[in-house]
Amino acid sequence: MSTLTVDISDFKVSAKADDLIVTYALGSCIAVIVHDPVRVVGGMIHYMLPLSETSPEKAKIRPAMFADTGIPLLFQTMYQLGCQKKDLIVKVAGGGALYDDKGLFSIGKRNYTVLRKMFWKSNVLIRAEDVGGAKSRTTRLQVGSGLCTVTSQGEETEL
Amino acid sequence: MIAPSVILSRVKALPTLSGAALRLSELARDQRSSAADFERVIRPDPALTANLLRVANSAYFGLRNRVESVKQAVTVLGLTRVSEVAAAAAFAPVIPARLPGYDIEASAFWLHSVAVAVLSERLAVELKMPRPDLTFTAGLLHDIGKLAIGTFVSQESVEILGRVRGGLAFASAEREVLGVDHAEVGALVADAWRLPAAMGAVARWHHAPDDVPEGVDRPLVDLVHAADGLAHALGLGADVGELARQIAPGTEARLGIRARRLERVAGASLDAIREMAGLFAPRGDSR
Repeated sequence: MSTLTVDISDFKVSAKADDLIVTYALGSCIAVIVHDPVRVVGGMIHYMLPLSETSPEKAKIRPAMFADTGIPLLFQTMYQLGCQKKDLIVKVAGGGALYDDKGLFSIGKRNYTVLRKMFWKSNVLIRAEDVGGAKSRTTRLQVGSGLCTVTSQGEETEL
Repeated sequence: MIAPSVILSRVKALPTLSGAALRLSELARDQRSSAADFERVIRPDPALTANLLRVANSAYFGLRNRVESVKQAVTVLGLTRVSEVAAAAAFAPVIPARLPGYDIEASAFWLHSVAVAVLSERLAVELKMPRPDLTFTAGLLHDIGKLAIGTFVSQESVEILGRVRGGLAFASAEREVLGVDHAEVGALVADAWRLPAAMGAVARWHHAPDDVPEGVDRPLVDLVHAADGLAHALGLGADVGELARQIAPGTEARLGIRARRLERVAGASLDAIREMAGLFAPRGDSR
């Protein structure tokens, strides 16, 4: 079994049933976790910012930094492994915020809004989500079983 | 509540920063200093010399020509940069393997410290502020109080976390339960380490920039306060206090920063933060 760690602004896809994909310390960043139980493929992105238009040059080098360039890349990579959209189970975690956020630091909220718009346009349903609040999260996906968990403030729950 | 004398003895028991780093930070603030003064402090310190050359040749600075001497490094990087590199090289080894009470390992605490240093500096550039002196180093050292009161936070963690879950900011919960918070203790550590007053003030006020007294470099405190919030929001070195913090309304108003620009700074800084953090490994000796 290998553990694939997804850094901030990165994504990982695996078709090995005994792999575990994990990402740590999601604050306002968001993890999109995708699992295909038919092909047995798992994928996860940990994106940091909503829109690549704030730094187009950066988006060329690190597309997974942004929701609008990273999420399509995650899905395309899974399609290249033979996955079909109708089989994909999509889950979302993160998008946290500081206390009493008046908007300046609400990167988490904007990250989530852009994600919902993109999924709405392309008919992707979110099966489960754990978003918002002043907490940091760690998410894990077992590629074989599709078991997805979120750990926050010392407690691990299934997503 | 902890008696001040107990805290002071803990502060005094901390390992100190290397003398060369402190001397350089003094020299960097003295307008009469020359490159030759810098060389005289650096040369006798082989570890600092090696670190300086390694950093000067790293991707972080992306210089075209290879830097091979202390003299060259000082000329190419400039006095301020050299003193910042020396501070980073001196700070990494004093971080313990794990900070009790904050549930954070040396590598994550180090990443957070570097993130706040880089973000403070980049925010200053983005906002076209005259770069306050010592921005990088003040950001780097903003949480030094945590090194001294971790054990006390650990002993009272149930009480403190209970209040945080009730909606209190982590630093305020520390203050309610312990009678002191890591920011106030940070100022004591800064004194014990003989850091410049501006750095002690940043450590002291980085959670309360609206309350800084007259005579304190408020723009610097605002920058570090915003950078600290941003680093935590982005998950750069998340500790148990996590996102339990507020951005002071005054800081938002004074800096006049907009969300888009904040995002641009975050996007542009991530690689630099990783590169700088990777240049020095915290020793993480388990004290």
